[in-house]
Amino acid sequence: MSRVLDPASASVTTDEVGAPARGLVEWTRGAAGSALGRVGRRFGLRRLFRTSAFRIAVIYALLFSTLCASTLGFIYWSTRDQIHSQIGVRLELETKYLTSIYESGAVATLLEVIQQRSQNETADRFYDLERNDDADTLADQDGENLPIRLKSVSSQYTGTMGDVADLAPGDSRRFYPVRVMETELASGLKLTIAYDISDEQALLDHTFVLVVGATLLTLFFSLIGGIVVGLSVLRRIDSVSRTAAEIMSGDLSHRLSVTERDDEFDEIATELNQMLDRIEDLMKSMQQVTNNVAHDLRSPLTRIRNRLEVTLLEERDAENYREVMNEVIGDADSLIHTFNAMLGIARLEAGIDAVEWSDTRIGDVMGELAELYEAVAEEEDGLEFVVDIAANPQYRCNPHLIAQAVTNLLDNAIKYTPRPGRVSLTLEGDEDRFLICVADDGPGIPEHERERVFKRFVRLENERNSPGNGLGLSLVKAVARLHEAQLALEDAEPGLRVMMRFSKRRAVERDRRRQSRLDARAVARTDREAKA
Amino acid sequence: MRILLVEDDTEAAAYLVKGLTESGHSIEHAADGEKGLQLAVANAYDSMIIDRMLPKRDGLSLIEELRRMGNMTPVLILSALDDVDERVTGLKAGGDDYLTKPYQLSELIARLQALTRRAQSGVQGTVLHVGDLTLDLIKHKVTRSGRNVNLQPREFRLLEYLMQHAGQVVTRSMLLENVWDYHFDPQTNVIDVQISRLRSKIDKDFDTPLLHTVRGAGYKLQEVQSVVEAG
Repeated sequence: MSRVLDPASASVTTDEVGAPARGLVEWTRGAAGSALGRVGRRFGLRRLFRTSAFRIAVIYALLFSTLCASTLGFIYWSTRDQIHSQIGVRLELETKYLTSIYESGAVATLLEVIQQRSQNETADRFYDLERNDDADTLADQDGENLPIRLKSVSSQYTGTMGDVADLAPGDSRRFYPVRVMETELASGLKLTIAYDISDEQALLDHTFVLVVGATLLTLFFSLIGGIVVGLSVLRRIDSVSRTAAEIMSGDLSHRLSVTERDDEFDEIATELNQMLDRIEDLMKSMQQVTNNVAHDLRSPLTRIRNRLEVTLLEERDAENYREVMNEVIGDADSLIHTFNAMLGIARLEAGIDAVEWSDTRIGDVMGELAELYEAVAEEEDGLEFVVDIAANPQYRCNPHLIAQAVTNLLDNAIKYTPRPGRVSLTLEGDEDRFLICVADDGPGIPEHERERVFKRFVRLENERNSPGNGLGLSLVKAVARLHEAQLALEDAEPGLRVMMRFSKRRAVERDRRRQSRLDARAVARTDREAKA
Repeated sequence: MRILLVEDDTEAAAYLVKGLTESGHSIEHAADGEKGLQLAVANAYDSMIIDRMLPKRDGLSLIEELRRMGNMTPVLILSALDDVDERVTGLKAGGDDYLTKPYQLSELIARLQALTRRAQSGVQGTVLHVGDLTLDLIKHKVTRSGRNVNLQPREFRLLEYLMQHAGQVVTRSMLLENVWDYHFDPQTNVIDVQISRLRSKIDKDFDTPLLHTVRGAGYKLQEVQSVVEAG
């Protein structure tokens, strides 16, 4: 006999909300995305809507709106339940009272009470007692013919006045909301009590409007907020793009602006600026290489050409020609050597990650070099070679490059130390940091030149006529830089002392950075390969 | 020696063909990787010179293919890439030696001969002989005319290398690479000094000199009455 009129009176469990709610969010997100796209295109705001800031704002807006709607909705339903149950209690009490009258057999009293209560105009209640067989009155006023049930069956629901009362079609009271309790007193005999809940319903409706309004407001303001944030992000990005465009058009000296805020944009800007510094460095050094190639390779090439041209001026004999050719081969060889050295240095400076590293005992490497140079010194009167290898730290490096760098230093020392002279090679330190030092007691390098000598092809005035290409120290600098070792030139009083200081701690950091670069590159490569 | 040259630079190839032919070798030339592979498979060569950068099939892939097919002919790789690590890549691909451009013809010939000799000698004995000079690899003993010669470890290794390439020209850079693992060229004459020391130990007090200097190229360990050979 129960009538279910309002599905909302059924209680709502979270399980039932969960899955469909998630689906709803997804659909909304997708629909909103494409809708935004269309709107954006119309208003030229597409860029704005594509920013991650805006999208995140939209997601948050939807989230908060949903949260808002859920919370307020819960409050609404809860309030409604509460109201209905309060009224329900009163309905029950009254029903119980009336039922007890019926059960005590005083049917006439029951009818009287009902009549009385119905006529009470001020009360917003409705009473009805009816039989299924549509009889208006009860057969027996005494109630003796009426079957008595020990227990009555009742149900409550919400409906409109028009459902329970016979009202004329034009009567406005038809649509008054009522809370109804129907009780079956006996088979075929139904007691209906209905309370007008217009006031309460008005309150609920008002609350519902507030819920919807609050949700919409949240949504609206979140979106506004998203637009504002998105615009500010776009502005930062635009400034980066502009600077990048300026740089690409050729002016490498531009740098991105970094604000005081120290936020993630500033972080990126700082990193990019460092990258630009490096690129500018590399460009400058490349320009320098080109200049130096033009300048310093020109002389031996000119020499070769002149030699050949002069030789052709006269008839000479075969022996003569052969001699000239051998000399030219010598010149060509030294050119090749210079050229290779230059390329090697340029490559070192640029392709730091192409170098292979291995764990090496530095003392062993120095020891081998020491053997070779000691032998050279012994063959020569007036050249003393002193070796002091006080440690043998294990260090992750490229041993070939280290050997080459130290060889360059030793070659220089031997070349520029007048005889009698002294050259020394020392290695001291421990597993955490160590120092390689090559010193001589020759003329040394004046203080104001010490920076310059590391540039390629620089040779000091007093060296102009001795063999060499001026690249030795450049290589040493490149190798030191590669290993993040500190390179220093000092006055050995007399002479020159060159020191390379290595630190394990810096090496560990360097390797860590290098590994992450290699990993990133490997990922990028597999991505490219996957797409290809 | 029958040599296969795979080189796409026509001038460089012509120069090499001329130089090697005049040194008494017979040389065939392919200008791209595919042709080179065909020739290598069809004929038997004593050694091959393969340029790294080739059209149609690059040098390293050619070598890898040959090795996959079981062809173990010694290969000298020519390359413009002179990084030490590029050298490692080349050797890993199956090359036996690596020479960077520009190179000296004498260097190339010396290395080529060293390669061929290594391949032909097959199983290494544990005792090397040149004339009355013997070197025992296991016992680390060197004797000449029955007399003991005391050598430092590095000197021993130097002599070992020279003896393994007895009768062939060994250049300074070959020695630097194989005995010291240095892939650069010190300006100071460290190798000359080491050779001279070795000479004083194995040649000085004996009748016939075995360790000879080859002008413009390097050194040679040989039991020969006449001394100098050009190139």
